[in-house]
This record gives sequence, C-alpha cells and structure tokens, in this order.
Amino acid sequence: MTETTRSHTRPVRPGAPSWRASRVFANALTYAFLIAGGLLMLGPFVFSVMTSLKTPKQFNTTWPLTLPEPVTVENFTALFSEQYNFVVPIAVTAQVVLVLVLGQMLTSILAAYAFAQLDFPGRDALFWVYLSTLMIPAVVTIIPLYSMMTTLGLKNSFAGLVVPFLFGSPYAIFLLRENFRSTPSDVLDAAKIDGAGVLRRLWQVMVPMNKPILATLLLITVVSQWNNFMWPLIIAPAPEWNVITVATAALQTQYNGNWTLVMAATTIALAPLVILFLVFQKQITSSLGVTGVR
Amino acid sequence: MNARQRHEARSAYAMLLPSLIGVIGFLLLPVLIVVALSFMRWNLISAPEWVGLENYAYILTSGRFGNSLLVTALFVLLAIPISIGMGLLLAIAINRGLPGTSWLRVLYVLPWVCAPLALGVVWKWIFDPTNGALNAIIGRRVEWLTDPDLALPAVVFVQVWSTVGYISLFFLAGLQQIPRAVYEAAMLDGAGGVRTLVSITLPLLRPTMFFVTVTSVISSFQVFDSIYAMTGGGPAFRTDVIAARIYDEAFVGLRLGRAAAMAVVLFVVLVGVTLVQQRYFQRRITYDMS
Repeated sequence: MTETTRSHTRPVRPGAPSWRASRVFANALTYAFLIAGGLLMLGPFVFSVMTSLKTPKQFNTTWPLTLPEPVTVENFTALFSEQYNFVVPIAVTAQVVLVLVLGQMLTSILAAYAFAQLDFPGRDALFWVYLSTLMIPAVVTIIPLYSMMTTLGLKNSFAGLVVPFLFGSPYAIFLLRENFRSTPSDVLDAAKIDGAGVLRRLWQVMVPMNKPILATLLLITVVSQWNNFMWPLIIAPAPEWNVITVATAALQTQYNGNWTLVMAATTIALAPLVILFLVFQKQITSSLGVTGVR
Repeated sequence: MNARQRHEARSAYAMLLPSLIGVIGFLLLPVLIVVALSFMRWNLISAPEWVGLENYAYILTSGRFGNSLLVTALFVLLAIPISIGMGLLLAIAINRGLPGTSWLRVLYVLPWVCAPLALGVVWKWIFDPTNGALNAIIGRRVEWLTDPDLALPAVVFVQVWSTVGYISLFFLAGLQQIPRAVYEAAMLDGAGGVRTLVSITLPLLRPTMFFVTVTSVISSFQVFDSIYAMTGGGPAFRTDVIAARIYDEAFVGLRLGRAAAMAVVLFVVLVGVTLVQQRYFQRRITYDMS
C-alpha cells in the first residue's frame, strides 16, 4: 500500500455539460462523508481525555461535554496515590510486554529460519502442524491453560502471565518464513562459502536483510500484548499482578459512576499505544496488507 | 545422508525446539485437555469426575447456551455486513484521492490499535444514561446499555466503530491493485458509477472480500473484552455472547466441564464457518489481475 493518494481522475468527456457539476457534488459528498467519519472516530478519544481533566464536582454540575475549566490533573495524581496504586499495573504490563516480545521474536525467528532455509526430515509435515494451530481460537485454550498453570502453582504470578505465550507464535513463524524464503540465496551462499555457521548466517545476514518485517512484527506483538485482557483477567486477578486492562476494568466496576477517575485510567491505558501508533503509523498501516490479522 | 546434512538437520531441530514447546505444550495439548474436560464435572476444588456426555446434553438443552449462540449469531450477522459495507465505502472515498484526505486513514485505524477493554469502558461512559456524552448531545435520557432492545445494537455499533477503519485499509489495498485501464474501458463503454462498482470493482475485490470476511467472522465470534466492559452480558442476557458465557460458566460459576463443552462447540462452529466460507468464495469466479 505504497501509493495511497493515487487519484482516479476521469478522462474529460466532451459534450457532457453536467459532468463538472456532478463531479463537484461527488467531491463534496466524499469530503462530508470522510470528515463526519473522522469526527466520529476521534470524538470518544477527545471526550474521554476532556473528562479525565475535570474535577468530579465540575463533571457532575456541568454539561458533560464542556471543556475542563480549570484543567486539573487530580484524577491522575489520585490514580498514582497509594489508594489506587496504578504504578503497579503499568510496571507489570511493561514487564509482560517486554518479556513476551523478546521471547516471541527470538523463538519465531529461529523456527522461521529453520523452516525457510534448512533441510531436514519431516520439515513439511511439521510446518503443516504449525499452520493448523492457527485455526485454534484463543477462547478454546483459555480453560485448559488455566488448569495447567494453576496445577503448576502459577496463578497470580508473573510466570503465569507470560509462560503460555513465551514460546513463539505460529502466526509470526508463518509470516517470517514467507519473508525468509524470498530472501535472495546468493548472499546466504556467499556467507556459507566463507564458513559462516547456521546461527551466524541467521543473525548477520538474514535478520539485517529482513528488518522491515521484523519491525512490523515487533509492533504488532507490542500492541496485542499491551491490549491483552482475558488471559490476565483469569490467571492474575490479584491486585499486585494486575495488568493495565485488568486494573482499568476493576476500577470501573468498583467506582462505577466516578467517571473522571475512570476516564483517567482509560487515558493511561490508551495513551502509550496511541502515541506509538501515531509515531509508527506508516509502518503499521502499510504492514496490514501484508500481515493480515494481528 | 552425509555428515553435512546430518549437521544441518541437527541445527534445524535445535532451532525449532523452543517453538515446538509452544505449539505442543500450549496449543495442541490444551485442545486435548479441553476435549477431555468437556466430558468431566470439575469445580476447581474437588477432583474432576467423568460424566460422559452430560455437559453436552446440558448445554444443548438448558437454553442459556442456545441463547448465547443466538446472540453471537445476531452480533456477527449485524456487525460484519455493516462494517464491511462501511469499510468498502470508506476505502472508495479515500481512493478518490481528494487533497487532504489520505491522512484521515490514520484516524479511522486508531481504534484498532487500542485495547478493546479500555475502549469498552470509554463507550460505557458515553452511553451512560445520566452523565454520558451521547445523551448530552441528543438531549434526552436513553438507557442505551440497560434497555434489552438497545443493548445489542449499541455493542454492535461499538464493534463496527472499532473495526471499520482497519477493514477499509484492506479494501484500499485491493482497490489500488485494480488497473486503471479497466475503469477507462468501462467509461468508454458508457458504464455509470453504480454499474462500474457492481460489475468491475466488487468482482475484482473478491480475494480481499474473502480474506476480510473470514478474519472478521472469526474474531467477532470470539468478541469478549468490549462486551465485558460495557454490559457484562446483560441486560437479561441480551448481549451474552459465547465467550462471555464461557468465561462466566468457568470462572464465575466454577463449572469448568460445562464451559469446556461450550468451548468445543465454539471450536467446531468456527471450523465449520471457515470451511463454508472457503467453498462459497471458491465457487464464485475469480479474476486474475496479474
């Protein structure tokens, strides 16, 4: 999706007097549609941040959509106070994301390279098994994973949060294998002749040559792990192991109606990824066509 | 097999080992366990007890699970056509390439990178009857999420809102692969806008349509986070989608056997839906655009 703004200008048809008028009308309609859509998309983000910057009193006594006057950060300072202690979920989430990104990238790169470039008995059958696991929905594995992790005594622990997802994802392996296969083999062969071993060829030739897809995969992994909710909710419900989504949900249930505080929490949960997205938006949007699902 | 080949095979197996632990231990083994648990009664406290087909008999006759299947089917049948239709419309609008519109794409995709749980909480406030943004705008009190007739349309709306931009990106990519010459030929033959859309654009977008439909159906069948935040399955189980039912049965009601049986049924349904879609799209004509 490189050429996004290519216009479909129609060839001028002489002898069609209404052509210009209908084109102006179509353009106006397109603008109206796109701008209305944009406002609808942006609205919830803007309104929730506005609410998070009001005092509860101001929120309860004025129309819900008035601008915060004066702007206050008391909801945010409250969240980081000892009472709500939002430092914990932010720290837990950051660690989970870091560990899972490292684990998934490393194991997926290794497996994808083996499937793409090495020859060994059973390779195609094994790859077919990997592919077939893409069909397994997450909701289906949640109960057995829970029973496995609790049997191992890992409920409410860091290990419980990360272990089931640490060892790569078949989806990432599939994606990387496609890219590793299309990497020109003459460079790899040259490295082989120079006596470079399998690992040296992988780290010094394959990885540097596939930086864009690896960056994309990294971003997708960060996004999906930061946003993860169901598994952390089940395996780590104790406050000291809450991730940010679980802490936000708990806050909302517990302080229902205290919207200024709750909107401060959602702002904290959403802001890092919104910023990440705006910075890397080209990379993320252009990668979607290639990668399909997250 | 010579020494070099043996060495290469050994390296390959070593490199596959970590991911093999993941695939066997945390994907294939769980599927076996969930099937086994679906034949057992288990409340997490006492030891699991074999009950044969009792769980299946219960979930297929009790009505609560049937309700969840129905709610999920309604959710999917409402959300998917609307978000695909709107996504296509957005893509066509952006593809006209009017000055200043390409950056709007970024805005439409924004909800897709955000945590569905957090967005669900934001929408719960927007829909709040007394202090919410929506009622403030329309100036009257509507119980969006607690009225049994409005709750499902409301959560469908949020699903469409959060997926439409993402879907439009795929259509945009598809549209840009259609050669300009095809449109110019249609124009010379005197085909109008609607005719061009129906006879050229839609047939040529078939591969994109297939991909988008399959992935959207699979993900909407599993919707959980936003529903958990907005309604928790209520009111009167009107938004009690399958994933919410499985969660409730397993981790609130502590009936893990029953929940496992529901998970198995969901798995079978999803595999079936995928196969049916594959056949449907294969039967139709596909065009080679290379």
